[in-house]
Amino acid sequence: MNVLIVEDEKSLALEIDQFLSREGFTVEHARSRKSAEEKIFVNNYDFILLDLGLPDGDGFDLLKAFKKLTERQDAVIVLTARGAVDDRIHGLEAGADDYLPKPFSLNELLARMHAITRRKHKLESNDINIKGFRINIQNRTVHHGEERINLTKKEFEIFNYLVLNKNRVISRTNLTEHVWGDVLEINSDSNFVDVHVKNLRKKLSQFSPVDWFETVRSIGYRINI
Amino acid sequence: MKLQVKLALYNTLTKLAVVLFTAIITLLAIERISVNHIEERLEKSHQQLIKNLSSTEINTFLVNQRIYTDYNILNQEYVLIKPVDYMQEVDDSLTYRTASRLVANTRETYRILSTRFNFKGHTYLLEIGESIESIQELKSIIKQFTLIVLMAALALTLVSDLIFTKYLLAPFYKIIDRKLIRVNDPMNFDYKKVDTTTQDFKLLDDSISLMMRKITAMFVLEKQFIANVSHELLTPISIISTRLENVMLQEEMSEGGENKIFASLKTLNRLKAIINSLLLISKVENNQFDKNDQVSIGEVIDEISEELEDRLEARNITLYNRMIYRHFMQANRALIHTLLFNIINNAIKYNLPKGNIVISDDLVNHNYTLQIADTGVGMDAAEIEKAFNRFEKLETEEPESFGLGLAIVKSIAAFHNIDISIKSDKGRGTTFLLTFNR
Repeated sequence: MNVLIVEDEKSLALEIDQFLSREGFTVEHARSRKSAEEKIFVNNYDFILLDLGLPDGDGFDLLKAFKKLTERQDAVIVLTARGAVDDRIHGLEAGADDYLPKPFSLNELLARMHAITRRKHKLESNDINIKGFRINIQNRTVHHGEERINLTKKEFEIFNYLVLNKNRVISRTNLTEHVWGDVLEINSDSNFVDVHVKNLRKKLSQFSPVDWFETVRSIGYRINI
Repeated sequence: MKLQVKLALYNTLTKLAVVLFTAIITLLAIERISVNHIEERLEKSHQQLIKNLSSTEINTFLVNQRIYTDYNILNQEYVLIKPVDYMQEVDDSLTYRTASRLVANTRETYRILSTRFNFKGHTYLLEIGESIESIQELKSIIKQFTLIVLMAALALTLVSDLIFTKYLLAPFYKIIDRKLIRVNDPMNFDYKKVDTTTQDFKLLDDSISLMMRKITAMFVLEKQFIANVSHELLTPISIISTRLENVMLQEEMSEGGENKIFASLKTLNRLKAIINSLLLISKVENNQFDKNDQVSIGEVIDEISEELEDRLEARNITLYNRMIYRHFMQANRALIHTLLFNIINNAIKYNLPKGNIVISDDLVNHNYTLQIADTGVGMDAAEIEKAFNRFEKLETEEPESFGLGLAIVKSIAAFHNIDISIKSDKGRGTTFLLTFNR
């Protein structure tokens, strides 16, 4: 899958590039609206990561111009420091598939890209198998064998996010943000994430041991596969 | 003292002074003139008399060294000639004085000419008097008249001055009220000119407007600055956080290093939250939100209760919703959500384990009110005073709190014309009272 990063901030683009390359994406850069337009109108991308504040123009206009092209399947994720609700709505209405306010976690970006991929391609294999558990993203259910495990909405979100970012430590802060959204007074030290995780573990361990689901010191959680 | 009253008093006093002065001058003049006339007449009579000394009538008296007095019928005039000790050189200058005399049981005031003269080897004292009773009467009439005129003038001018100055100063008070008292925020200042023909008030009006324009410009600049700074900070934070995340993924790190990186990410997150809060406040204060949603307060509360379910559960707190009204308001839904979320979130955060939160509503003077009461740690008066200030933190076990939650609440409430008050006793819980002004 190939990605175009439209971002004038070189260091940021480099970091995103590095991360996505490790995940197996092919990455290209554009640092201005002009060069972004050249690239977009010539090539097809799976993802366009679009920063709105470009030195030579507004990303919104670029987005609108791009949306006028027919027969294009490129998913657009808007990345911007304009994090206000109105801006998000504006971006989504203009045709973006998703919206991430800066600063964002790369894990979160990846999770959103996966979600878009699933939506776009209506993946047959909506099921993810892990250690005997079967996660169905579409129906938001988890089965063990034939038996359905009764998870709450939040427990499912946590499990899904950790599985998606398997083998990586996910911090409480990151997890909180993903599951509860951008709450202004984040209490990342509050233990309410832990309460959910504890319940989730309890429910899973009724079916088989969950030693692969580890708590990482004082940081957060990791699912090892 | 009001300017209006001062002006009226000043006017009244000056008029009073003028009338008094005129009256006194008139009185003095009348007296002077009539006395002069009388004195002239007395002098003539004196010359007449000196000529007629040898007349038989007077002569008889004088020869017999007796006092000669003569009053005319109405006691208006009299003549008195009285022998005195003989002087070789007699002082025959005329002197005048005013004195009262008892004549036939009535007291009369006379202007009296007195002089001495020698006649046939004797010295005599001569007095000729003319009554000035009529002048005295005239004087008292004038005095009374003046007094009445004074009183009337006083009352009239006072009333008319008060009415006129009131009318005159009306634009002034209008300017004060419209342009100073009723201005809570330079952003919505009323630049419309106050109707007046008085140049000075026009100047005042224009000067205030000019000052407000300057203040507004500075205000806007400051708000812009906060917004811009916050905005500009987000990009570097973004770079650092992605960089740290990548470092985490690449190298085989020691446990200590990993911990430090996560701690840094957490700090960055805190920074991000602070900046986003400041941005939100400045956007609200800059009126950069619309109020086009029909918001049901009950619905928003239900939504928040659901969102916070896990926190309530984690702390073992019960939330009782005792709302009985269905209140809709024209507002920005996202902002109202944030406002109520922050208050209820605080009610959880500062509550005691196994405590409870009661949400109730009421109609007070046709205004909808909402009460959110908790059984938590409470605040003392000093803490309430500072509760809405930015970066004001309560002593709390929450190290992650950075004291912007209530500052956000305050700005959103002001934006929607909602009054907020806090009732609290230390250790006895806190009640937030929201009044939704129509």
